[in-house]
Amino acid sequence: MTPEPGEPDDAVLLRDVARGDEDALAALYDRHAGWLTVRMTRRCARPDVVDHAVQDTFLAVWREARSYRGSGDVAAFIWGIGIRRLIDLTRRDGAARHRPPWRAAEPQVVVSAEDQVLAGLEHGRLGQALAGLSPELRAAIEATVLDGLTCAEAAVLLGVAEGTVKSRCHRARQALRAALAESPSPARKAWGTP
Amino acid sequence: MTEHFSSGHADRVLLAGYAAGAVDEATAWSIEAHVTACTTCRSALSAQVDAGRLARNRSVLHVRLALGDTGRTRRWGIPDHLLRLLAATPSLRRSWLLSVVGVLAVVTGEAVLARYSLGGPVRGNPSQQALVPFLLVAPLLALAGVAAAFMPWFDPAYRLVAAAPFSGFTLLLVRATSALAVAMVPVACAAFAVPGPSWLPAAFLLPSLAVCALALAAVTVVGPLAAAAAAGAVWVLAVLLLAGAHLPLTVVQWHGQAVAAGVLLAAAAVLFLRHDRIELGWMR
Amino acid sequence: MDEMTLDTQTAAIRVDGLSRWYGATQALAEVSLALDRGITGLLGPNGAGKTTLLSVLATVAEPDTGQVSVFGLDPRDRSERVEIRRRLGYLPQELRYHRHFTVARFLDYIAILKEMTDRRQRAEEVARVLAATGLEGQARKRIRALSGGMRQRLGIAQALLGHPDLLILDEPTAGLDPEQRLRFRELLSDLPGDPLIVLSTHQADDIAAISPRVVVLLEGRVCFTGTPAELAATADGRVWASGQRDERAHLSWRGGDNLWRNVGDGPPDGAEIIPPTVEDGYLLLAHAAVTR
Repeated sequence: MTPEPGEPDDAVLLRDVARGDEDALAALYDRHAGWLTVRMTRRCARPDVVDHAVQDTFLAVWREARSYRGSGDVAAFIWGIGIRRLIDLTRRDGAARHRPPWRAAEPQVVVSAEDQVLAGLEHGRLGQALAGLSPELRAAIEATVLDGLTCAEAAVLLGVAEGTVKSRCHRARQALRAALAESPSPARKAWGTP
Repeated sequence: MTEHFSSGHADRVLLAGYAAGAVDEATAWSIEAHVTACTTCRSALSAQVDAGRLARNRSVLHVRLALGDTGRTRRWGIPDHLLRLLAATPSLRRSWLLSVVGVLAVVTGEAVLARYSLGGPVRGNPSQQALVPFLLVAPLLALAGVAAAFMPWFDPAYRLVAAAPFSGFTLLLVRATSALAVAMVPVACAAFAVPGPSWLPAAFLLPSLAVCALALAAVTVVGPLAAAAAAGAVWVLAVLLLAGAHLPLTVVQWHGQAVAAGVLLAAAAVLFLRHDRIELGWMR
Repeated sequence: MDEMTLDTQTAAIRVDGLSRWYGATQALAEVSLALDRGITGLLGPNGAGKTTLLSVLATVAEPDTGQVSVFGLDPRDRSERVEIRRRLGYLPQELRYHRHFTVARFLDYIAILKEMTDRRQRAEEVARVLAATGLEGQARKRIRALSGGMRQRLGIAQALLGHPDLLILDEPTAGLDPEQRLRFRELLSDLPGDPLIVLSTHQADDIAAISPRVVVLLEGRVCFTGTPAELAATADGRVWASGQRDERAHLSWRGGDNLWRNVGDGPPDGAEIIPPTVEDGYLLLAHAAVTR
């Protein structure tokens, strides 16, 4: 659901939710539940757990809408709530043992280097360095860096001990530093920004 | 592969690949970071998710909101589903509580008036007789709440309860405990206001428990109406007999408490042994 | 009744010589039935014993004499009774509600009574039955604010909770307008799992549209079992049209086409015999029972 011009933007909807407007929550759901489902599915393969997590997320948004300080995207706010709901459910179900199977498979959609430059998706060197890491190290980086989880939370999500997460992050950072230090690269946009 | 990112947005192929888990991590992370900020790509990504699944979660979310789901399965250590059963208990409704408070106000007022019309503070038995209405009524109010828990006439949906597999004993216990707890609060408050000994407020707990337990135990033997009537009659008789002997407070003094404890234990034993005979709403 | 010979040994519900009294009144007299999967309609006037029979099948009332077997379970035995209830959905006649309840909370309450202790499972079930009965928009509404038709739909919704194998519906179409009756019929035919459905009504046209099997109950006795077509056929040759009211008929009323429809045992010679409906068959049976 792309908001039409004239329709309220997410921050306005969230403010309405904080005031108890259930229709605003429904509108937020229609806009955000889709990507939330996909993003969660990449971290937990059990669709029923993801369904529960998505519901729990919007219930939590309903309760915590007031805590949105207007800084950053509403989507990031929702993800911050969502990932923690997912971790809660994982902690109870042990769903982390069911990691998505495709993590080991060969990526089928490959973005060429030219396209990356064209689109500003400039993670060329970083991307290669990441590809050089093992899947467990990449998962640890994803949890701690991308999702912003603490090591304890990441441990629950990944289904390993907290110490394991710490050492994997450490090894990942060392490997990335080594790979990126191999040759100087031209100035590029910071990784992750569109 | 054609451009997947033209004009700064991810195209459908790339998003489909991401949704299917067919892109590498670095690309996925870029997409996720991008989607967080881009409404166009968010809606394009939503289109990749099964619409039926999204609709189903939406309607379950709507129901959970309507149910006031807070995400907790236990509150004060009690499972959430038992707490929700209380919502159907008649003796927890405002109208019921108001009636209880009303009745208590009447007997309390009467006791206060009777005492002060005899002129002066308490001394000796005559003013104790003024407490008789209060002594009669207080545990009966608790009994009424418990009786409402097992008499079909107070439960508009009693036939649904009868036809349901849920344990009648558990339901009755949940309702009766809450009815008792709720009745004891105004009774204790009223007992403070009534001109009597200072230990009076606490003295009602055991006799009320005993009378209610008697009713519950009787329900396993006779019908609901007979059980409630019998338990009430036992108490009324005890109070009136002792009042007739000019010793009304005995019923809540040490001897009374001991008898109440005995009745409570006996009734609890009967209830425990015969609890599976409790079937609310079952018509013989 | 040849096309309906049910093997009574394996029928899902078997009733043999069931009688029940309320005080001095005999509500059921030696009722014997065999019911199987699918829909069975119980047809009879008020006071015929339909509610009593359904109460016994729904394990709400005890049989006084006779044998009852529901899915092989005996409702006289307490633990088997509870087992029947685990597979049961029941809509009693004139169901009353806790009026302060909202629709969703009431359904949640019934779901708990059906032993659904997991709140997520309950929420999914409640959402499912709300959708099935078209009540999704009413989840937050208090029951006292609902119309009569919606309250009836709510009664059907609570019966559907938990995917029961046995659905007992006492006058489920009471208070529903024709469009809602149509939706109710569609709902019944769409139920997954092929449950055994017994529903009662005092309207013959309802039965004809919904159920492939009819049981006519009059004054506590079974007077007919068969298909609606067979019930209509019992009035073959005993329904005729005339220009005015015919006193010889048991019943005579003016139809929409200004002709009088007469139902009775002795159509006059030369009378225009018209094809009987289910209602005609039922009326003849009812008359016979009353004049017995």
